[in-house]
Amino acid sequence: MSKKSRKLIRATPPPPEQATPELLPEAAIPVPELQQRFYFLPDTPALAVHEKELHDLMKVWRHGRATRTIWEVLQDGYVALFTVVLIGAMVVNVVLHAQSGAAGCSTQSCASARLLMPTAMVFLSYAFTLSIARLFGPVLASAAEGFWLMDAPISRRRLLRGRMVTPVVIAGALSAVLTALSAALVGMDVASLLVWTVAAGLGSSALMAWAAAEQGLERVTLVRLLLGVFGGLALAVLLGVVSIAAGWLPATGALASQSAWWIGVGVIVAAGVGLAVALRSAGQRLERIRRARLVSGGSLVSGMQGAMFALDFGLIRDILVEREAAERGHVRPTKGRGLGVTALIWRDVERLKRNPKAFIALAVSLVVPYAGDALRMSQLNPLISAIGLFIALVPFLGSLRVLTRTGGLARALPFKTSTIRTAAMAVPAALALLWAVATTPAFIGIAQTGADRSLFNGFATALVTGVAGLFGAVRWVTGKKVDFAVPMMATESGAMPPTLLFNLVRGFDMAILITAPLILQQPVTWSLAIAGVVFVFLRGTFNMAELTAEQEAMKRQEAAAKAAGKEKVKIVRPAR
Amino acid sequence: MAGSRPVGKWGTIEPMAKRTPVLKVTALKKAFGPVVIVDGFNLEVHAGEAVALTGRNGAGKSTVLRCLVGADQPDEGSILVDGVAVSETNPQIRRDVATVIDDLDFFPDLSVVEHLDLLARAHGIADAEAAVDEVLHEVQLVPQSGQLPSTLSSGQRRRLALATAFVRPRKLLILDEPEQRLDTEGVAWLAARLAAERSRGLAIVMASHEPTLVRAVATKVVRLTPSAEAPDVEA
Repeated sequence: MSKKSRKLIRATPPPPEQATPELLPEAAIPVPELQQRFYFLPDTPALAVHEKELHDLMKVWRHGRATRTIWEVLQDGYVALFTVVLIGAMVVNVVLHAQSGAAGCSTQSCASARLLMPTAMVFLSYAFTLSIARLFGPVLASAAEGFWLMDAPISRRRLLRGRMVTPVVIAGALSAVLTALSAALVGMDVASLLVWTVAAGLGSSALMAWAAAEQGLERVTLVRLLLGVFGGLALAVLLGVVSIAAGWLPATGALASQSAWWIGVGVIVAAGVGLAVALRSAGQRLERIRRARLVSGGSLVSGMQGAMFALDFGLIRDILVEREAAERGHVRPTKGRGLGVTALIWRDVERLKRNPKAFIALAVSLVVPYAGDALRMSQLNPLISAIGLFIALVPFLGSLRVLTRTGGLARALPFKTSTIRTAAMAVPAALALLWAVATTPAFIGIAQTGADRSLFNGFATALVTGVAGLFGAVRWVTGKKVDFAVPMMATESGAMPPTLLFNLVRGFDMAILITAPLILQQPVTWSLAIAGVVFVFLRGTFNMAELTAEQEAMKRQEAAAKAAGKEKVKIVRPAR
Repeated sequence: MAGSRPVGKWGTIEPMAKRTPVLKVTALKKAFGPVVIVDGFNLEVHAGEAVALTGRNGAGKSTVLRCLVGADQPDEGSILVDGVAVSETNPQIRRDVATVIDDLDFFPDLSVVEHLDLLARAHGIADAEAAVDEVLHEVQLVPQSGQLPSTLSSGQRRRLALATAFVRPRKLLILDEPEQRLDTEGVAWLAARLAAERSRGLAIVMASHEPTLVRAVATKVVRLTPSAEAPDVEA
């Protein structure tokens, strides 16, 4: 940007011109004579409003539109129910298997490291609760409620009380279940399991209620700060798990001892008191929450619900990214560099500085292979680490996402689709390479009973894992939205477009495909060969849709030329 | 006619460069299921010509434009830009045709000025800064240059979309209702800008409902009617 433009940006905007409305004399304004067939609202006596009745009325309307009962829905979706039961049975089986396997974790370092996992889960659930609270409100209202109900002279506190309690309960229940599951998986005793489960559940509920109280004061700084603290603590505990399991830190077993049990009880008491106080103050502040803030959370939920019905996870991320951009609003523009494709790559480099938050996930993903090896999971380590990297790399593929979701922007760039895709993958590929270098020791083997590879093999395995993570992320972000115009597939739950099901495994399929030879103890060259083939398809060299379109265009052109050739051209000869 | 060469009693022969149309559409047909939107649509646009597509809502203006830029595949007929069959992914077409239709997307994390800078540099403009500055001033988005697209008003977004077409080299400009969301002053500016582009030798095809814009810019108006009727062409 030139100096001239900068000056213009800094310059104070000129004062708005004073409008001088030209007033017409009263006599000149024609007043139509209307026959009054309605009452002005102020003329009618106001009746007492009961918020509960209004809510019930809305419920009646909604239920009136329902075409099926819940029982009919359950009957139709019995396959889904069976799936839930089956997955539940598998989880129980895994827990039982893990608990018997925990007996095999006989060394003190292994046991100590395992027993730290529920602590990490508690911190993670706290951080997750706060991030969800910050994202949605946590108190929210739908656009319809905001428009129809909140305009009325009713108590917002009474209307929103239920909305405040629901996220508090859900946060508590979800955190408790996840912590209980992780505690059961590491073979924790029942008493400790119960203590940590209650601590996680109550703590999450208290934090959610506190976030609601902060929402009433329009404050987010403290929520953000605490979110960072709990996220950092979770990461520190995870690093502790790896370090103790690898033997880098002494296995004190402190957190498995009786004192740790009392820490848990202390957390429960503090969380209980905090929950009571936070619920009270949040309830009092409900009246103050602005309608715009309430409706904004509601519209975000409805947008995400819509995307979820189509299993379009990319769209969900797009909604979140757009929201974050709207909150940010303004950035300090930076100058581009290079011409042609270089400009596109350089812009991605500039983005790294603009979005440092993305590096947190990348840093966490670095821990995964080390944790995997330390916890004796070296065989599955490439797959688990690739999935971790895949999730961490998604935020770095923002430009590829925008350039593939609609054709408009790609059409404005004078390059082949494959060139654009390759350029948009360049920076994430460099990050994946650095990740591979940094995680090579984990694949060589850090624990005594972990992996045992040579330096070359370790690096090759790390490289394959990095490539699998990168291609998983690329496949995930380049996913097209579900096409409901294609022939549907008959399922027990009704007609379904085939791509809807593929959306569930999108990205994970690449990670599995590329790391499969490593898991099956095959040479690393197999994985590299598969990765090469995957790259050719992902960069769009053999884009079947494009090739078909080009072929059809050529056919049409030939047909048009033939048709033109059949028409006899009449040439008027000049008279001699 | 300037540049024409008289050839005896055969009349006149246009110079070769002028005879080759920038855009040639032959017997275009597009249907959505059983509903035929356009059928037998022919169009030739030469350098320095501007064609305005007009017609009621649903007459097929946007559908024709989407086919012209390659966003939709026609069922029949051919579309050539400088003799090359239109394909959305062909880099030559991407280089030659600047478009502002309803599917333009923006990077959520790039500011207004960064979008324009990226496009100018991607098209190999050596003095990208100067080109971006000029266009930014012209579309009056200098105070918004650091803003992210999601915070722009709908009118400002339209100005940014138009700026993306003006900041890069082009032979053919395709615009779908470019006057949308612009204020009166903005429409007047756009009319003057497009007229200037046309007089400099650019070929323009646009769909518009704004009579002022059509009058100021178009050298030919094609009024699209439902496919059963033939399109009404007036020069």
